[in-house]
Amino acid sequence: MAELLQFTITGVSVGMVYALIGLSFVLIWKSSGVANLALGGLVLIFSWFTYGMTVQVGLPYWIALPLVIIFALAVGWLIERFALRPLIAQPILSLFIVTLGIFYFLEGLAVFIWPWMVDTLPPIFPPEPFHIGTAVVAQPYIWAAVVSLVLFGLLTLYFRYHKMGIAMRATADDQFAVQACGIPVTRIFSTSWMFACVVAAIAGVLISWIGGVSHGLVETGVKSFSVVILGGLNSFLGCIVAGPIIGLAENLGGGYLTPLFWEGLEDIIPLIIIIIVLFIKPYGLFGEARIERI
Amino acid sequence: MGLPCGTHNYTYAQDMAILRTKTHWSLLIILFILVFTAPLYWSNYWLSVANLIGITVIAAMGLNILTGYCGQLSFGHVGFIAVGAYTSAVLTGVFGVPFLVGLVAAGLVAGLVGLISGIPSLRIKGFYLVIATIAAQFIIIWVINHLELTGGSGGLTVPYASIGGLVLSSEASQFYLIMVIAVLCTFLAKNLARIKVGRAFVAIRDNDLAAKVMGINLFPYKLLAFFIGCFWAGIAGSLLAHWMGSISPANFTFMESLLYLGMIVIGGLGTTLGPILGVIFIRLSQQGMMFLTPTIEAAFPALPAGSAGGITLMLFGLIIVLFLILEPRGLAHRWMLFKVAYRLWPFSY
Repeated sequence: MAELLQFTITGVSVGMVYALIGLSFVLIWKSSGVANLALGGLVLIFSWFTYGMTVQVGLPYWIALPLVIIFALAVGWLIERFALRPLIAQPILSLFIVTLGIFYFLEGLAVFIWPWMVDTLPPIFPPEPFHIGTAVVAQPYIWAAVVSLVLFGLLTLYFRYHKMGIAMRATADDQFAVQACGIPVTRIFSTSWMFACVVAAIAGVLISWIGGVSHGLVETGVKSFSVVILGGLNSFLGCIVAGPIIGLAENLGGGYLTPLFWEGLEDIIPLIIIIIVLFIKPYGLFGEARIERI
Repeated sequence: MGLPCGTHNYTYAQDMAILRTKTHWSLLIILFILVFTAPLYWSNYWLSVANLIGITVIAAMGLNILTGYCGQLSFGHVGFIAVGAYTSAVLTGVFGVPFLVGLVAAGLVAGLVGLISGIPSLRIKGFYLVIATIAAQFIIIWVINHLELTGGSGGLTVPYASIGGLVLSSEASQFYLIMVIAVLCTFLAKNLARIKVGRAFVAIRDNDLAAKVMGINLFPYKLLAFFIGCFWAGIAGSLLAHWMGSISPANFTFMESLLYLGMIVIGGLGTTLGPILGVIFIRLSQQGMMFLTPTIEAAFPALPAGSAGGITLMLFGLIIVLFLILEPRGLAHRWMLFKVAYRLWPFSY
């Protein structure tokens, strides 16, 4: 029983971070209809940038973290302005492959500057773990879940009440109508990329506090695709529901099924979930099915 | 289009001919003579580069049929190549089956696995299909990593290919095998695009709903595209396994899958020439980077060890993005523009 609680708590809190990465995807998909396959690369580069600022330059966190946010904003703006904007109204394949090119570039940049494989960020939380019931949970897990929830709350409020947030929702709904209303669509795109990069950066820092910085973060990006598939591509709520489900499945499945089957099963549990969801309910739990016209 | 002045087509056979004029024929024959006498004057190193290019061309042709003609995105092509490679390696190495049987079996098994991965394509497309194929790739590699038969992460050693007692152990003999199959595959791909199946693929790519309305049965055609594309991947995988001599899951990475997509985009989607040009471009620039890496590391000693690997990745990323922005129709389109300009020279039109 103690095991179960342990797996559940770690699963949910890691799942919250996956949900955050998934949210970064949904932000871009909702506003511009671009599937950001460079997600893993973004998480990777922001984590390593944080590492560079804190460990290599030696800045304290209160200076380093704002710098990471600024860096994320800049990266988001650059990507949208120089890679995505020239391709507006191109076929969907081009949009996929351009994000792929960005993925390659970011991964290359990370390997170029930080070629060693694994390292850890300096600790920000005290090392003694939390005791929840019988479970013993390291502090970063709890804080990751808390930060993710707060961020979700803030973004939800932003999209509900802020003028720019409402404009972004409107763009997602109907681009032409929005243009007719005089809302600059390109600025919406660029804002959503900047937002998405900031969310990816925060998720990257959270996940690095939990598991260290490594080039394996790319696969974390792939896992978060399973979150958006399960939750539905255009739903924030879907993300926050599906994230913990994936995290739980990974931890519970890895914990209980590994002795029965092969080792390393937890790595492909999210992928198996993807396949099952695509067969049964392709548009996810909360996504809308698109009705197509010719 | 593109025919020299004064060439007119009077019959359907003339209209459909791939090689229309005597110049076409003689250029092709010269090319074949150059390629098939290459082992006489190329060093072993360049022959091995050519072998890799030949194998990659076969796999890229398959991906081009699937993605370029039929529009079904596959981000897991290397997974299917791995299926072919392991099928052939296990059949010939463990069970002692003749190479040619292993080659065909590799294609069939990879095709079947591709068929299964393609089943979701009826209900989903675009990003959903991308994710499904990514999942397929990771699951295939994971299974290979954990099976006893495939030797796990340690990999397998593969015997040389042999046809009727003739063991193809040298680079040159494998060069002939790979080139013959590559030429055959190119010829088949070129013709596939011109028959009913190919036209149906193009219709599905351009708008699958419209294709359905016009009476194209989507399910069999999409599955057929997956089967053909992955069949070619399996053939390439089998050749790769016998050419490399030993395979392990580390040879079949996700990044390589993405590179295949990059190749066909750079070459030009939905053309027969495109994959060939793209593959040659990417593989040669990889070789170039391998030459340059020591120079770069010597020139900038301040860089941490291993950085140069990052430069290659960054360069490919940049090349893919720049091609999409500046020349979305790829090298094949550039080549066509060059041919037209050459035909009209010295007049501009």
